[in-house]
Amino acid sequence: MSRASPAPIGDAAWRARQRARRLREWALQGALALVLLALAIGFARNIAANLEARQIKSGFDFLHDPAGFNIGELLFEYTSSDSYLRAFAVGMSNTLRVALAGIVLASVLGVVVGLMRLSRHPLLSWLGAAYVEIYRNTPLVIQLLAIYLLVTELLPEAASAISIDGIALLSKEGLQIAVPQSGLFALGCALGALVIGGAAAWLIARRWLEVGAGLIGAAVGVLAALIAWLLAGVARGWSQPALDGFLISGGASLTPEFLALWLGLSLFTSASIAELVRAGVQAVPVGQWHAALALGLRRSQAMGGVIFPQALRLTIPPLASQYMNLIKNSSLAVVIGYPDLVSIANTSINQNGQALEVIVIIMAVYLSLNLVVAVIMSAINARVTRAPR
Amino acid sequence: MSMKHLLPAALALTGAAIAIPAHAGKTLDAVKARGQLVCGVNTSGPGFSAADSQGKWTGLDVDFCRAVAAAVLSDASKVKFVPLNSQQRFASLQAGEIDVLSRNSTWTLTRDASLGVVFTGINYFDGQGFMVPKKLKIDSAKKMNGATVCVQAGTTSEKNVADYFGAHNMKYKSVVFDTAEAITSAFFSGRCQVYTTDMSDLAGARTKAPKPDDYVILPEVISKEPLGPSVRRGDDEWFQIVRWAGFAMLEAEENGLTQANVDQQKSGSKDPGVQRLLGVTEDTGKLLGLDKEWAYRIVKQVGNYGESFERNLGPKTPIGLPRGVNNLWTKGGLMYAPPIR
Repeated sequence: MSRASPAPIGDAAWRARQRARRLREWALQGALALVLLALAIGFARNIAANLEARQIKSGFDFLHDPAGFNIGELLFEYTSSDSYLRAFAVGMSNTLRVALAGIVLASVLGVVVGLMRLSRHPLLSWLGAAYVEIYRNTPLVIQLLAIYLLVTELLPEAASAISIDGIALLSKEGLQIAVPQSGLFALGCALGALVIGGAAAWLIARRWLEVGAGLIGAAVGVLAALIAWLLAGVARGWSQPALDGFLISGGASLTPEFLALWLGLSLFTSASIAELVRAGVQAVPVGQWHAALALGLRRSQAMGGVIFPQALRLTIPPLASQYMNLIKNSSLAVVIGYPDLVSIANTSINQNGQALEVIVIIMAVYLSLNLVVAVIMSAINARVTRAPR
Repeated sequence: MSMKHLLPAALALTGAAIAIPAHAGKTLDAVKARGQLVCGVNTSGPGFSAADSQGKWTGLDVDFCRAVAAAVLSDASKVKFVPLNSQQRFASLQAGEIDVLSRNSTWTLTRDASLGVVFTGINYFDGQGFMVPKKLKIDSAKKMNGATVCVQAGTTSEKNVADYFGAHNMKYKSVVFDTAEAITSAFFSGRCQVYTTDMSDLAGARTKAPKPDDYVILPEVISKEPLGPSVRRGDDEWFQIVRWAGFAMLEAEENGLTQANVDQQKSGSKDPGVQRLLGVTEDTGKLLGLDKEWAYRIVKQVGNYGESFERNLGPKTPIGLPRGVNNLWTKGGLMYAPPIR
């Protein structure tokens, strides 16, 4: 659609032709939309009629029925007598947890490996290339199964777990880490330190630096949070992991399923991100390098201050689709027994047989998650492209 | 999402979206026209349905498919076996991809009344149990508090184990896999202390352990799992054929008819029950839309129920299950067929 301009352009006949053209375009688009709508309604009615004819139960009422099955990993309380709705919420929280952790780790690894590939050091660049080729060119399912197999076959049983000074235990039960005894108190301390430390560092750094104060604020904030969290543990005592019957209790735990899925998704996606980073850096005109070096900057300064910020602009749009892929790939969880949304949905389909409704829920959840990622990433993109040149 | 997870959805969608009105009697015509019975079976359930290295299927459920083919198509070998996982099975039947589902599936009210399928009978009375490594020295299911339990996605087992631990005030952690292979590999590597599923499956899985003697199946049976074949709703004639094919195998065993002696009995027996079953005197097949010798062919080509059991699950097989409650009612079991007359 052309935008209406303030001053009239062209003669009356031309404007009339333009109006007619716009009308025709609107009419065409409207007709197309109507046809699509009619098709969708027809499809839905056909499904309803056929389900009815085959005497298959339909509708979303089942969401309030008790689910009746247990879930192995919980971020919040859930028992088998809770509703299907709550079970789906658990599944979604597990999907979100592994996706977020995966996005963070994949980004860090991706940037590191991408820069390694660009390094003038032959060993570093060769290692980077090998990493990318291995993780990018083998199927993710196979990587997940391999990692999971390694974890479950190689690690010792809970009774003879590998102990790191009582701080962490590694076994077939997963990774258990000592955490401050009063979790909420420690979390509060950490959050407080994050806000106060971050803000203070940002305010101070702003006086000295043109750009990058935000980054320094964030880094100091995270560090302060970590220290506060540890201090909270020292003050109120630790919850240490220890063997209790069959299992290890106490501390915070990451199951082998979570670890394998998190690592698998991160490694696989980081290989693609590394390539995006490399492509982004190489797309910055070589003149920028020359100019930066001519100003007397060291190579690392030129990379960090001149080249990388420009490369970021080129990298962010394709990065968004890598993040979305990671979220969607997390649905492979079921092959290694991690209770993500799809795994819970599969179980639900079998308990109540309402495949159609459950699949609609799965699609809606993944669509909304990815739309959120799209919105966040385009906001970041807008910010980065607006940065001073 | 992987193809594997999309398949049941796609089946359900196409099945529901394409308008195929459910006409009575259509399945029999379709099977005859196709010259082949399409039967949904377990991807890998030793003793129930498993394919060997040559692709030949064997098992109790497989024999059931063959019996239906023998009755309907006069040839027990005219069966196409479609291996289905537990999530695909009912969607596949609903969508009309298979004619019969014979995949050790538990008959429950919810499945019978809300999935658009009907169970035709019970070909194995099972119950859910637990398998544990011997070295844990657990002798009763009540001593499993706090254990990690491996369980298969989309089975009645998931619900039963939650009920059982809840009722006995015990806690557990579940790890849910979508295939039996994934579970056995995780269980035998020591990821879980307990593997729970139907007793017959546990016995089958135990044979696949690196050292079967390191594992023990606990005595407790925590649920009723009547396993049986099912068909789509809305085709009563087909339902009757499938149901009575199962009964014919039981009736044959009760009358002492075996694969080996059925020819001799057909010409020589004076027993009116035997003569009726084998179509010597009365034509029971006509009432089902089949011919006179439908039951004779089942016994001749597949054997009676007892023969199928001994061949696939019995003490002489690696699975080595006793006949137990699956014996005939005349021998203290639960297998009872209404009279074929």
